[in-house]
Amino acid sequence: MLDKRLMNSAFLHFLTLLLFKQKSKHIGAVLISVIIIFLLSAVLFISSSLQYSLLSTLKTQADFSVSRVQAGKSVNTPLEWVDKIMEINGVSRVAPRVYGRYFFTPRENDFLVVGIDFFDEQNSEELKKLVEQLDLKTFLSSESMLVGEGVKKFLSAHYFKDYFTFKTPQGSFKKVKISQTLPTEANLVANDMIIMPIDLSREIFGLEEDEVTDVTFNVPNDAEWDNIITKLHLMFYDVRVVEKREIKKAYENLYNYKGGLFLILYLVTITTFILILYQRYSMVYSTERKEIGILRAIGWSIKDILKLKFYENLTIVIVSFILGVILAYLYVFIWDAPLLSQIFLGSANLSNNVSFTPVVEFGLLGSIFLFYAVPFLAAVLIPAWKIAVTPPKEAML
Amino acid sequence: MMIEINNVNKIYNEGTPQAFEALKSIDMQIDEGEAVVLSGVSGSGKSTLLSLIAGLDKPSSGKIIVDGELISKLPDLHASAYRAKTVGVIFQHFNLLESLSVEENVIATLIHSGFNMTTIQEMTRKSMALASISHKATTDVKSLSGGEKQRCAIARALVHEPKLILCDEPTANLDRANSLKFIEILQSLHNMGKTIIVATHDPLFEGLSFVSKVVHMRDGAIGNE
Repeated sequence: MLDKRLMNSAFLHFLTLLLFKQKSKHIGAVLISVIIIFLLSAVLFISSSLQYSLLSTLKTQADFSVSRVQAGKSVNTPLEWVDKIMEINGVSRVAPRVYGRYFFTPRENDFLVVGIDFFDEQNSEELKKLVEQLDLKTFLSSESMLVGEGVKKFLSAHYFKDYFTFKTPQGSFKKVKISQTLPTEANLVANDMIIMPIDLSREIFGLEEDEVTDVTFNVPNDAEWDNIITKLHLMFYDVRVVEKREIKKAYENLYNYKGGLFLILYLVTITTFILILYQRYSMVYSTERKEIGILRAIGWSIKDILKLKFYENLTIVIVSFILGVILAYLYVFIWDAPLLSQIFLGSANLSNNVSFTPVVEFGLLGSIFLFYAVPFLAAVLIPAWKIAVTPPKEAML
Repeated sequence: MMIEINNVNKIYNEGTPQAFEALKSIDMQIDEGEAVVLSGVSGSGKSTLLSLIAGLDKPSSGKIIVDGELISKLPDLHASAYRAKTVGVIFQHFNLLESLSVEENVIATLIHSGFNMTTIQEMTRKSMALASISHKATTDVKSLSGGEKQRCAIARALVHEPKLILCDEPTANLDRANSLKFIEILQSLHNMGKTIIVATHDPLFEGLSFVSKVVHMRDGAIGNE
């Protein structure tokens, strides 16, 4: 329930008056607070959005991928594995896959080439939509490929507008038509990706017709996952099994707000925040001491003083917090976080144009608010209380 | 009897080697509507006595009863209510909130009075008129002259219509013309039936017709009345 006295228009009038008339006293703290809240919220928004996008993409991926390893080294996987895996009970959507990094030799850049069977049902929703829109007959007859936005830009800059010529391991050249660009929304995972028919990718990577790089499949019943892994190891002595849940863990750790880069950011913000707290604490002792003494002398009780200081500083806290969060939202989700996005995404390979999906974690925002509001209010209320309990005569000196 | 002071002592830094006895066994009675001058040199204890009557500090021992209320033992909430209702204090250094205007300084006294804003504004207007400072109502205190600050302090001390008005060296920072003007205002307050106590060593307060009692103080004790 709101305090009756807060509802008193005279108190609200005086509170507003003090905030406006003494704004120069608060402006520095508000500005620094807005920057701190902005930074923390922006980092939180980016990491939540990236995690959301990656995990959403992961949802559409196959549960398992298996490949052959020999003495710890990945080698080509026989296509016959597809049929063998299909025989295992509880397994569905078994698909061969050819993928690998293709180095663009004039520069130190590489593309992720993924070869798929366009007649199969696609695991990824985006890919499924894209394939549905394609004129498959023309696409397959003309040896074409779909490229990510980053690849398209990069190749255009190197004068490969409509075609790109791959070098095969046998030393021949393979000219492939650039048919279409993948949607911008898929940039986080598909910026440097090239999707092409599986036979074409085999030719580019020098694989035999009965070879693939790995085989993917789903196991709808989670409880069977461990049994399936055991069966795979019994079936193939040289198999490497990658589970979707392992990739999920890796993604979660990649943008986890509790580690690495974030710890450094927290240290910087905490140091800055301590400086603000010190400024507030000293300000109450120096400039507000007399003001508190005067108010006490004209009849304000200790409780009245603390209430005034509480609401005065709560207003500052709330205004700073809302401003910081709104700025961070605009910066990340409207302006795509220039500068900060590079820290998260890196720019070692192809420059990426990522649009962040708006994801707001209210629980974490609440924690930031408490982390900021409680010490801020304490830094004002403790000295204010100490002054208020001294005789007004002394406080006014 | 408006004010009764019985055997009041005030010792600063009590129990330490720096202990200082500011007031020694003070006894005094002041009737309602009386105007009393506490005179004496600086350090004689008159300001300390005034601050005890105002409830701004507590005596080390003894009793102070104002309007039937033992104010020397009041807990904070009651002492604040006493200052907010019964007493109006005019300080030597004015003690105004410098960032606020005259009107806002006066309003500050009534924030916790329970009156609504319309009533508060009406009371503020009347009080500023009484102190002849209405023309500077919206001016920030920091840009006022000494005399104007004094009148703002008077308006603030009168706004809640207190029975008792306490003035601590009210003319110390004023020129002669402003001091005489202040004395005029005091006389009009006396005519309104207010009880007034002025702590001063200004000779202008000597022989004033409306002053019923002059109490001389020396070394924390009362000399002759």
